[in-house]
Amino acid sequence: MSTDKILSVDDIRGTLKKMKEGVKKQPGLMKSTYRYLDAVSGYVERIATAKEEGKWVASHGTQQPLEILEAMDVRGCFNEFWGVVSDIARLESVPEAMGVSASLGTPGEVCSFFRNMDGLMHAGKWPKSDMFLYAASCCDNVKSFHTLGRRYGIPSFGLDRSFTPYTTHAMEFWKNEYKRLIAFLEEQTGQKMDYDRLKDVVAKSYRLTELHLEIDKLVANVPCPLSPECFSSTLVAIRCWPGTQYGIDFLTEVRDELQERVDKGIGASKNERFRVLWSSFTPFFDPTLMGFMQEKYGAVSVADMLSTWRVDENVQANWMLDPDDPLGNLAYRTVLAPGNCQYSTGVDVATVLADKSRRFKVDAAIFQNNWGCKTGAGYGPVIKDELMRQAKVPTLTLHTDILDHTFIARADIESQMDSFFEMVEASKAYQERRAAA
Amino acid sequence: MNAPLKTLNEMQRLTSPFPESVVVKEWRAKGRKVIGWYNPYVPEEIIDAAGMLPFEVTGDNEPVQMQGAEAHIYSNSCSKVRTCWQLGLDGRYNFLDGYVSTHMCDQDMRLYEVWSYYKKLPFMEIIYAPRKRDEETVKLYQTDLEGFRARLSQYLICRIPDQRIADSIKVYNRGRELMMQLYELRKRDRPPVTGAEAVEVGKAAVRMPRERFNELMEQLLAEIESTGREIKPARRLMLIGSDLHNTTQITSLESNGAVVVMDELDNGIRRAWGQVDTKLPPIEALARHYLMGRPVDRHNWVSDGRLEFIGEMAEQYKVDGVVSQATRFCTYLGWDKFDLKKQLQERGIPMLDLDLEYGHPGGAQMKIRAEAFMEMLESRATA
Repeated sequence: MSTDKILSVDDIRGTLKKMKEGVKKQPGLMKSTYRYLDAVSGYVERIATAKEEGKWVASHGTQQPLEILEAMDVRGCFNEFWGVVSDIARLESVPEAMGVSASLGTPGEVCSFFRNMDGLMHAGKWPKSDMFLYAASCCDNVKSFHTLGRRYGIPSFGLDRSFTPYTTHAMEFWKNEYKRLIAFLEEQTGQKMDYDRLKDVVAKSYRLTELHLEIDKLVANVPCPLSPECFSSTLVAIRCWPGTQYGIDFLTEVRDELQERVDKGIGASKNERFRVLWSSFTPFFDPTLMGFMQEKYGAVSVADMLSTWRVDENVQANWMLDPDDPLGNLAYRTVLAPGNCQYSTGVDVATVLADKSRRFKVDAAIFQNNWGCKTGAGYGPVIKDELMRQAKVPTLTLHTDILDHTFIARADIESQMDSFFEMVEASKAYQERRAAA
Repeated sequence: MNAPLKTLNEMQRLTSPFPESVVVKEWRAKGRKVIGWYNPYVPEEIIDAAGMLPFEVTGDNEPVQMQGAEAHIYSNSCSKVRTCWQLGLDGRYNFLDGYVSTHMCDQDMRLYEVWSYYKKLPFMEIIYAPRKRDEETVKLYQTDLEGFRARLSQYLICRIPDQRIADSIKVYNRGRELMMQLYELRKRDRPPVTGAEAVEVGKAAVRMPRERFNELMEQLLAEIESTGREIKPARRLMLIGSDLHNTTQITSLESNGAVVVMDELDNGIRRAWGQVDTKLPPIEALARHYLMGRPVDRHNWVSDGRLEFIGEMAEQYKVDGVVSQATRFCTYLGWDKFDLKKQLQERGIPMLDLDLEYGHPGGAQMKIRAEAFMEMLESRATA
């Protein structure tokens, strides 16, 4: 079996550095593009250089309290991010890594984020990790962290929590799980948690949330000022840089540029015909698709579920309830945090998205039914029906794989989009929205 | 050839036609309610204590066409979930007054949601099934069970008292004891029942009032002893993996002279295993039993115990080979595969790995693979 195309950590570092330099010379991009790639590349650098800088590395899944890691000098390596960055660097890497995973007996029906990790670990190309961390979320695949930990002798810790996380006892339980996580990290690193430092990190993380929401308000403008090349800025900041000054500086720059574009009436597209919500996730498996949609249909991506805080016009993400209770704040943050809304019913997710659709003046939604995602397979139809019922937003369902570009032909996606946008344009709801605008 | 077991025939008569059977119709004719439950972290004792019939929502021996269900749950998901939803859509579960699930995996959680959204029943409840097994999660689960008891009481407009739950625990403990006796008999060199028959017994347990089942179970054990029924297996097999309700799949495995003498199924050994502690307050006792008192299952993150349990049982029941059948899209079983194979290899136990769609009949493809596996076991035995 060929493993030539599988990217090592150094391959990814090298490619991202080149990309970063490349965008300097590319005309027509947002100024923040360089900073966005710097955030992506910087995150990889932090992981790659951790050992030489005397830091620990924890590979982890979604919904982790990264602020705790930051306060303890443990550098997170988010397995989902690693899959996405592999696609950014070289699309052929993930399918090959998943081929290795299949050769180990891992079924092809489990999520690609995890099959990619499985294959990379076997090929010796996963970042060196001191521990694995994972949490109950909407993803059964996190079991793989213990499985792979057992296989490769890496200690692991999982955060459990209730499916109805908003009750008092569930919140208390969740907070207590954080204490247990700290105990685990203290045992692994031999260092005690500095709670004053944690408070500072949590305060920085809260500032990042505020910036994210300020950016959201700007992006909601017509025309949408955010271009595809910077679309994932907030996602990268929130998922990779929470609790850091770097994250704050990064989003401040993005916000300032967006404000400038709004003031000058500069949109991502000169011909904004459709405003699109990605009601599951953006097309990680094909980094050019969003740009293509904008060019061909005037379909501008304005929002996605993964970057959505649980807020509406009345509820804001005020998760800093007590500055002296950093763990309590973090527990509450998780409930509101982007992506966490999936750990809920489809109606609940759709209600959050329908509200966002109204605020962002969304015309159409695209739901990617990721082959390996049982959550998506189970709640996609409910979200589709509720978005239509609550916000009169029609949905195109694309059956894709979150990372594997070979799963569906690009031509197939384009032909589905051709008919979809034609249908949206002819719809009464779209015409009413446009007339009102 | 052994004669059919009369008591098993009676169990099957009472629980036919599936799912709205003779016994369900009798129950409802008395104006009593039926609560459907899905997956093994719903303590039936609480429903029973409320004076309602707990009925496990499953498929059965007939395959189900799932196109209707796939409008609400896409096809890249567990076929058991889709089968049950299709039966729900077809009106086959219209006799249910309520539906209770636990969040044991993403897919059963979504089945609950789809049921709740498209065909809401008067009583709907979901309970979290913790992934970790420790004192902290027992408390979390116990609090959720208290919540379940409270909401079921509200539905009844009558508090379900501790004493009633304690009484139900005794009945269900007796059922476990009797089912375990049957497992013990299957350790014999010549077991009295086939694997297919044993699964049919397990199905009856969750489709009729447990007291009635217990009476029939006592009769069944007496019948086995009095008739001296025994089967001479060419090879002894253990069945592991996903829930299985279409017993034609097991019949296919057993058609070559093999007998399934042990399993690792939620609707098998886990249902029979252990006793709920009658000295503890009943809800706490249930929380402890369901979370900690049964063998580690596929949904537990730390599944080392599951792999060890399979190995130990395979040795105790002197099996020649293990048949692992995983319903496609089961994430948990997918992640156990590699280490399971390793564990059994270390113990010198061969394994046949089958990826199946839930409920599909044991067709030619399965027979061919079973035959090849049996030939391999034969050659090992004669080597």
